[in-house]
Amino acid sequence: MPEDNGNAQEKKGLSGLLDRPEIQALKEKVKGDVQAFKKPTKTDLFKSMFRVKHDETPRSRALGVLSNVFLHLHPAKVNRDAVAYNYTWGMGGITFYLFVVLTFTGALLMFYYHPSKIVAFRDILYLEHDVPFGKLLRNMHRWAAHLMIITVWLHMFRVYLTGSYKKPREFNWLVGVILLVLTLLLSFTGYLLPDDQLGFWAVTVGTSMARATPLLGHEGPFGPELGMTQFNDVRFALLGGSIVDSNALLRSYIWHCIAIPIIVSTFLVVHFWRVRKDGGISGPSPVVLEGEIKPERKI
Amino acid sequence: MDWAQIWEIAVTPDNVPITALLFLAPFYTWYGLRQAFANDRLIAQLEASPEMAKTHHRKVQAWKPGWAREVHTWPYLLRIEFLALLIVTAILMVWSITLDAPLEEPANPNLTMNPAKAPWYFLGLQEMLVYFDPWMAGVVLPTLIIVGLMAIPYIDANPLGAGYYTYRQRKWAIWTFLVGFLGLWVSMVIIGTFIRGPGWMWFWPGVTWDHDRLVFEANRDLPDLVGITSMAGKSIFGGFVSLLYVAGAGWAFHKLITRPGFNRKIYERMNILQYVTMQLLLILMLSLPMKMLAKLVFRIKYVWITPWFNI
Amino acid sequence: MPESSVQNQVSAGADGKGTGAPEAPQPQKAKPWQRVAGLFSKDGTPADMVATRRRFVGASVVGFLIVNLLMFLRFFFPRALFEPKTSFRIGYPADFGFGVDTKFQQQFRVWVVRNPEGLFVIYARCTHLGCTPDWKPSENKFKCPCHGSGYDSEGINFEGPAPRPMDRANVELDPEGQIVVDTAKLYQWPKGAPTQFNDDGAILRV
Repeated sequence: MPEDNGNAQEKKGLSGLLDRPEIQALKEKVKGDVQAFKKPTKTDLFKSMFRVKHDETPRSRALGVLSNVFLHLHPAKVNRDAVAYNYTWGMGGITFYLFVVLTFTGALLMFYYHPSKIVAFRDILYLEHDVPFGKLLRNMHRWAAHLMIITVWLHMFRVYLTGSYKKPREFNWLVGVILLVLTLLLSFTGYLLPDDQLGFWAVTVGTSMARATPLLGHEGPFGPELGMTQFNDVRFALLGGSIVDSNALLRSYIWHCIAIPIIVSTFLVVHFWRVRKDGGISGPSPVVLEGEIKPERKI
Repeated sequence: MDWAQIWEIAVTPDNVPITALLFLAPFYTWYGLRQAFANDRLIAQLEASPEMAKTHHRKVQAWKPGWAREVHTWPYLLRIEFLALLIVTAILMVWSITLDAPLEEPANPNLTMNPAKAPWYFLGLQEMLVYFDPWMAGVVLPTLIIVGLMAIPYIDANPLGAGYYTYRQRKWAIWTFLVGFLGLWVSMVIIGTFIRGPGWMWFWPGVTWDHDRLVFEANRDLPDLVGITSMAGKSIFGGFVSLLYVAGAGWAFHKLITRPGFNRKIYERMNILQYVTMQLLLILMLSLPMKMLAKLVFRIKYVWITPWFNI
Repeated sequence: MPESSVQNQVSAGADGKGTGAPEAPQPQKAKPWQRVAGLFSKDGTPADMVATRRRFVGASVVGFLIVNLLMFLRFFFPRALFEPKTSFRIGYPADFGFGVDTKFQQQFRVWVVRNPEGLFVIYARCTHLGCTPDWKPSENKFKCPCHGSGYDSEGINFEGPAPRPMDRANVELDPEGQIVVDTAKLYQWPKGAPTQFNDDGAILRV
């Protein structure tokens, strides 16, 4: 517009500058960009991370679960009656959550712990007094462990009461029992690590039962006949020695922090996989009447 | 009644889970059985009325034709899982802030605490050591418990109750599990925590734990009670008694499972292998309370003595 | 109102806007605990409270996570350390002659140097990347094996990548007359900056 141009050229200073058409166009563009940020879910950054729209259509809801690496543990839809907690009690999920909490708190504890007889006990004292939030962290780890054992028992109890170990879930029950044993072993190996009287004697009592293993223990039935002594029996293999000493501590540490967690994770993978493949959460399913049992198929 | 003693045991940090278990175990048993009885009432209704059996959706939860049978995981399942996560985290944080994890004196191989107890989940095993030798209580029985648990789905020939709580359709399964889990396992843990004091001596709740209490309880062996002195005699006698027990227990279980109260149809569906496995596991399970009775009431330590092992 | 797919139309409330719980009618609220639970259930709370509750829960969760994050970060800085002492005694001034003395290099990582001006202690850390140089008496220089930095007999750099002379440790005389060295207090001569080597603690004028 000729008048504007003329005016712009006449005005001096910043206001003249601001009136130029190029600057106006820039202002419009900036305004438009700012508007875009007010809708973050429409930005390219967001869309690159979350590949699915997050609105409330059934499609988005299903995809939100299926296309998420963490959430796709779940199916897109579940039995409407399984959502209420009185069926499952939520114990399986809670147990898994506690396992994650234990892994996280455990990893943090490892920053201040040396698995050596000389300093292990002192490290726990150091952690409790000289490390900020160390006491809280140790407490969390210990209590989460106890809580996990309780929830694992309750989970097993619930699965039993709802008959969710019957066909086709028999194998998953078996994997579950293995996980139960591994949970107890995790707790047991961790018990020794503070190297205090409580842990030391608990492990002594525990491993001394190993010396009584039939055939493989040097004090078990038929063990000595097979050449078992305290230096080569199964208890020796567990402890790395004939006494509960520094080798036992180091082995306990490695079992507790690396070996058993890896084994547990493997079995967890199988356990979750089988839950999905066997048809998801077993119920609540429609009741079947006695007269409706199909006669057995003879092989 | 020494309430302070009970309190002291109950709030020892490492015993707090048992104290919690004292409430949680009965609560969840009630919670599960309550739903079982509700389902059983529905089953009774359906069995009484064939039309209802044809048209009913077969659950106690409400449903009308046209309602979706499934709901989206997001938001319904995930939000309640999130709620559970919040509650568990809150419990854990409060517990961790108020109660400190125990740390006793540094490990000293020359000084054992009295009592020296295993962690609470192994207290059941430690209590069993009173009644059986270590190879049995510490190795054989735990292994059989684990194997027995694993075998459950394979010896359970009852197709009913898969996916819903029920009592009347699974009485045998529920009773055997409750006896084994609550009756034996949980109560052994409770005995180990609250009743076993210094020297692993028996202290009834409310009795102060006295380290100097003298106990004059000489053990006796069953063969000695009957007057057998030779080793061969003891071995044969013990074997005979054990066989008698196995036979008696087996007969008792057989009679139980074939009672009209328990579903005979299930028993008829079991094949030989399932039946034998079930019997073996139940007989072994029963041997524990039998041995407890023998030891606690009759002061009998061994029933079967051989040169190689004692039971 | 977002679209619902055809098959979901009959289950209005179970899907769609997400404000409805799965459509299972609540049992008769006779028991007290159920009334309390009603406070927390969608159907029991008035619609206007839902958004407030959602904000409260959301804020609590976020607040909790932020507090945990701060605790997590603070966790990595212990309040007490058990590291070797940095302050130690090396004897009397009379024990040292002119020149470089390597007597305490292994034990404390220092060289004691004496010249007509006085006695000072060089902290044996190359100012390039922290290796320990070697004293080469035959060449009358310190030479760092890592990248070849060279320092003269008083620790002043003259060759190689070292940016400045080697630092000197604080020296004092204790009441007995022994020299007390403190390697936690170092004196530097950065390039282009005034030297600290003439400060009070940097040299003992004996």
